[in-house]
Amino acid sequence: MEEDMWRQFYEKVKESESKKEKTEHDIRIQELDGGFFEKFGTLLKEQHAHQETGGMALVCEEEQPENVELELEVPEESGGVGMALQDSDSEPEESDKHEFITDAMGWNIEELYSEVLYEILHIVGCDASAEEERTPLFCYLQETFKLDHEKHNHLLEMARAKEAPNILLNVEIIEAKDLKPKDANGLSDPFCTLFLTSSVAHRYNTSVKQETLSPVWEEHFSLPVENPADDVLCVEVWDFDPAETVREKMMKIGAVKGVKGLRKLMKEIAVTASTGKHDNELVGSATLPLKNIPASGQTLWCSLEKKGKSKKQGDVKIRLSFSSEKNSHVASQEHRHLLRLMLLHELENSKVEPYQWDGKFSQSAEIILTQHLVQCGLSKVAVTLAKWIEFASVHVDHPLSFIIFSILLQKLVKPLQKGFVTEEEEKLFWEAAKKILPSCFNGIRKIRKLTHSDKSTLHQLSGILSILSQLSTLHPPEGTDLFPPSIYGWLTVNEDEPNCDIRATLYDAVTQGAEDWFSHILENNKTTDSPEEAYLNHLIQVTQLVRTDLQRAIEFHDKIFQQSFNFPYAKTLYKVYESKVAELVEPVVTEVCKSLKPLKFNHGAGDGIYDNDRLLMGTTLFELYLIVQRFAVLGTGLCPVDSEIFLSHNFHLWFHAGVAQWLDIALYKALQRIKKAVEIDHLVPVDSSVKYSSSAVDTLAIFYQIKIFWKQLAWPDVEGSYTFVAKIIDDICRCSVFYADQMSEKVEGMGESQNVYEKKFEVTNEWCLAINNIDYVRQSIQAFVGELGMEEIVTSLANFRSQTEADHCQRTLQLVIDNAVDTVGNKILELLEKVAEKMAPAINRFLLEGAELLQQENNCMDRLMKYLDDNLLTLHSHLNTDNFSRILAIIWENLSHTMYELVESNLERKRPPTFFLNLHETLKILVGFFKQGDEKNDTNNPAILEQMEHLLQLYGMETWELIHQYHLERREEQMAMEAATHGLLTVRMQFVEDLLRIEVLNARNLHPMDTNGSCDPYVKIHLLPEEKFTTITKPRTKTHKKTMFPLYDEYFTLHLTSEQQELENGLIMFTVKDQDFLGTNEFLGEAFVAFSDVPKTDMTTGLEQMAQVHLKLSRPTRQDSEVYRALESRHDKLARDFIKKEKPKFLPS
Amino acid sequence: MAAPNFQGRHMRQPSKNTLLKVVILGDGGVGKSCLMNRFVSNHFDEHSFHTIGVEFLNKDIEINGEVYTLQIWDTAGQERFKSLRTPFYRGSDICLLTYAVDDRTSFRNLALWRNEFLYYADVKEGMTFPFLVVGNKVDVSSEQREVSCEEARAWCMENGNPPHVETSAKDATNVEQAFSLAVESWAHLEAKLDRPYIGDTVDLRRQQPEQRSSCCLSVGGNTE
Repeated sequence: MEEDMWRQFYEKVKESESKKEKTEHDIRIQELDGGFFEKFGTLLKEQHAHQETGGMALVCEEEQPENVELELEVPEESGGVGMALQDSDSEPEESDKHEFITDAMGWNIEELYSEVLYEILHIVGCDASAEEERTPLFCYLQETFKLDHEKHNHLLEMARAKEAPNILLNVEIIEAKDLKPKDANGLSDPFCTLFLTSSVAHRYNTSVKQETLSPVWEEHFSLPVENPADDVLCVEVWDFDPAETVREKMMKIGAVKGVKGLRKLMKEIAVTASTGKHDNELVGSATLPLKNIPASGQTLWCSLEKKGKSKKQGDVKIRLSFSSEKNSHVASQEHRHLLRLMLLHELENSKVEPYQWDGKFSQSAEIILTQHLVQCGLSKVAVTLAKWIEFASVHVDHPLSFIIFSILLQKLVKPLQKGFVTEEEEKLFWEAAKKILPSCFNGIRKIRKLTHSDKSTLHQLSGILSILSQLSTLHPPEGTDLFPPSIYGWLTVNEDEPNCDIRATLYDAVTQGAEDWFSHILENNKTTDSPEEAYLNHLIQVTQLVRTDLQRAIEFHDKIFQQSFNFPYAKTLYKVYESKVAELVEPVVTEVCKSLKPLKFNHGAGDGIYDNDRLLMGTTLFELYLIVQRFAVLGTGLCPVDSEIFLSHNFHLWFHAGVAQWLDIALYKALQRIKKAVEIDHLVPVDSSVKYSSSAVDTLAIFYQIKIFWKQLAWPDVEGSYTFVAKIIDDICRCSVFYADQMSEKVEGMGESQNVYEKKFEVTNEWCLAINNIDYVRQSIQAFVGELGMEEIVTSLANFRSQTEADHCQRTLQLVIDNAVDTVGNKILELLEKVAEKMAPAINRFLLEGAELLQQENNCMDRLMKYLDDNLLTLHSHLNTDNFSRILAIIWENLSHTMYELVESNLERKRPPTFFLNLHETLKILVGFFKQGDEKNDTNNPAILEQMEHLLQLYGMETWELIHQYHLERREEQMAMEAATHGLLTVRMQFVEDLLRIEVLNARNLHPMDTNGSCDPYVKIHLLPEEKFTTITKPRTKTHKKTMFPLYDEYFTLHLTSEQQELENGLIMFTVKDQDFLGTNEFLGEAFVAFSDVPKTDMTTGLEQMAQVHLKLSRPTRQDSEVYRALESRHDKLARDFIKKEKPKFLPS
Repeated sequence: MAAPNFQGRHMRQPSKNTLLKVVILGDGGVGKSCLMNRFVSNHFDEHSFHTIGVEFLNKDIEINGEVYTLQIWDTAGQERFKSLRTPFYRGSDICLLTYAVDDRTSFRNLALWRNEFLYYADVKEGMTFPFLVVGNKVDVSSEQREVSCEEARAWCMENGNPPHVETSAKDATNVEQAFSLAVESWAHLEAKLDRPYIGDTVDLRRQQPEQRSSCCLSVGGNTE
């Protein structure tokens, strides 16, 4: 039943929780301490929400100055992704950027333009568009290449006029060495220009190599040759010397970081190079007559010469061959350049955000590209590879979607694995990969700056991981260093060795990212060191942010890492964070715990004299504990069998000393709340089905909160758990006792009324509710302990220590519980006694007043009965059976004492028998009243009741009855005698029909009082009670002289009516007296025989046949007996005569 | 015939006893649990376990016609249990500081225990708290004894003058008496608190040291 009650209560609490509606009542209790327990309960939610928003807001604020430029370009709402990913370290890209720019400007744009125009003109395939549809293609091309109309028309004319060349000279400019330095820094920025002397204006340029005297180009060119016999190839090496350095130009375009600036730069340089109008300085030139070149081709080193300089200017390595159609190298390179130009154009036109371009060109571009690859006869792999390479180059400055790369890579993995590509292509592939990788790892490192729930972000992440995963299945050529330290400054691996371990790098990136984030959090959540409490709040915030990050990682990212790369992302993060958190939190907590001082509230609990700081500190420490706990729980989930994770197993140890403080705080708060709950209790049942009021429910709610606190604490150490549970039970006991006291104090004074005549106390519903409330709380204790998880604790103790010890602990806990229940039970009893005590004056008064009227009225006890009736009815209808029985017993006990005193005092006042008779009646009614419904009360106070009844019976008797009672007791005494100290009387007796026959045989050993030592005895026979035998003459024997052993042998026959014979307590009294001639016969002794002891026979049996009966003679001894005293107290003649006669019979003591 | 005449005669024995919370402190192994078990169940276990955290027992004891219910909290002495036991100090009425007469260190640590108790018990400032100093294991031979009775007395004199008693939980010497003495000590202080200006409490205080200093084992005569 208690269980049920608890469960119901529990449901109620839950229900009200779910409703989230605070009643005014709740609010009043909670406002007392700012919702202390509720805060404990919801602390985490709030904390979480707060941190989530507050924390992130902080981060965002911090981010702004860093990203001002970017934000100008990127609109706020969609900006998340790009902004974050671009916010990579500034170090890595520098060198790449140079390469890209110079790389891009290498190709002779006009040449490529004509080539493409030529292809458009000679469009092939079934999808070939009609003549008029080519115009948009031309327009598109013109825009892409940024050429003016004049140039376009000119080149278009040339393309139209051009016939397919029969012979092509394929030139590969491989490298140069020993170049003469031209720049101040002792180096040059060399590029090559090549042309046929037959067509000097038609120049081809390589890319510019920065700051080197031994550049490597490995670039391919196809030159149409009309007259191979006479023509001469001229190769010039120039030192690139722009008016502005590339670096300066880069700075200039920094804000736009991309397409427009680059294109402009590229075009400018390309044009100047091709027209020869530039400030570049010639390093040297070499000429090669075509006729010297063998049909099979040739690779050779050529010396560079310069007019007016006899000294060699350096050597250039060239491969030469002829072919009838376009060389595949050239075609690929052409295609790549075309791709790049078109991509740049597309990006510019579509204004697409970084990371957003989905890899789809416009229709015109697609047509052009398709024509190019078809007319050049490029393979699918070559085209994919070209895309991979060119996209990678563009990606460096204008990031593209990782998905594109991932898809491209899918197509390339197999050809690469199977060696379907040339060594050179493979090299290019990895060079491109090197360009993509930094952004991949930056993405991972900066993952926190992404909008975590954004689908496209997660898409990008899986793109990145897919790229990494696929790349890790490939083997880069010997000597490749995928992760040069100059770019990957954050890598922890050995810097000297070429490194291609993608997984290890990913691990480093994740770790590094976590560490950076942690530092970031610390920097952005700075705090003043004091007071300590603020510092704890700082730790809470940091831990919460870290936890939030981890939570996010688990929620959004971990799965992607696991699926794409089988990488334990969240676990890796956790390990980083764990050590960081431990490093940060442990020393502080240890220090704080050491300095914790116990709360002061022993005296005047709940009065609010306490140290606020300690309270606050303890609470804050608990918050920190919860946050760290929640964090550690994530760890346990992530690495269930990993024994290395320290935090999950041990973090609670830091807080060990804090728990005592928390328990104290909880106790203190609970006491305060109980006080408040009692204060605002109106002492009306909470609803019609129950008999307790709001404060009882509130108190249970407080217990519930303590339980929640305990559950949240989830203390991992079993010995500690056991001890703390014992402490909590003891605290609950303390709370309950405190509640009982408060309750009792509250009802004190209720139900009392006073008018001119009297002061009266009536039991009120409030009193009953107060009792019920305490009992309700008391009954909940055992069930509450079950909620604390006592059984689980005992079970773990058995595992941890031994069954014996666990049993021992369980016994201890049970004792603590029993003690608590008993102590509160005592409080109830105390209150019940108080009620009875308050009722006592009225009861006494009514009883006494009634007694005064006993002689006159029959209904004189009505007021008493009404008072009892009213109050007991109230008690009965509100209290449970147990408590009602208890209070009934208490009232009865009080009442019987009062009654007793009443009897005694009235005995002293020598009230007439009617008084006592009526009082006796009253007593019988009262006994009946209190026995009602419960027989157990019978045993409550039997001695006093018996005594009282005896007295009332005696004093209520008529005098003759009393005298007879006296004689009956005399007979009892006679029966109890052991020795016949006053002599023996021998008689025979029988009832025959209506006759009583008595034969007095003799007497012996009589004890005369005479000084002469002898006597003259005779025996007189009385039938008692004399009232009933007034018609009978009292027979007597003759007097025998001077003997102590008289032989009488006298017969007496007495006629009795049947009523007389049937008399219930009839007695025969034999009195032996010494006849004195002076007239005063002296009493020698007497003996009593009950009628019931006299045999009844028929007429045929003679008296002589009866047995002789030896009666011990006795004298009265007990003047103090109640019955004698009662007779003494009487003033009627009968009594006075009797006493007068009886008194001399007593022997002087 | 006024009611007050009768109320005066309502001298029923109060059904509720005075509840006293007793805490037993002292180094691990001095026999705190044994003392409690001897007192409560008159039982001695030679091979008892270390106490985990705390143990609890209660027992009624009658002193000078007054019945007290002692709620006895026995604590674990080991340092690692410190933060487990200290929460139980709050609200104590009596504290037993125990040492073993054959363990000098446990005696030396009495001051630490006393301070720990005062620190965590939230005892009202300036209040004399009813401590009782108990030297357990007097059953050991005189060679094994490391702390003399006089020494312990001297320590008590210097530390607020609590009563001192030597006991043996093993052979039951003075165990009952120790608890009685503690309760008496509490009652004296309580009486002093209730009637701070009445002269006879001063007398009681003066008597106490005499009682104690007579002999270690004289304590048996004081009770019952």
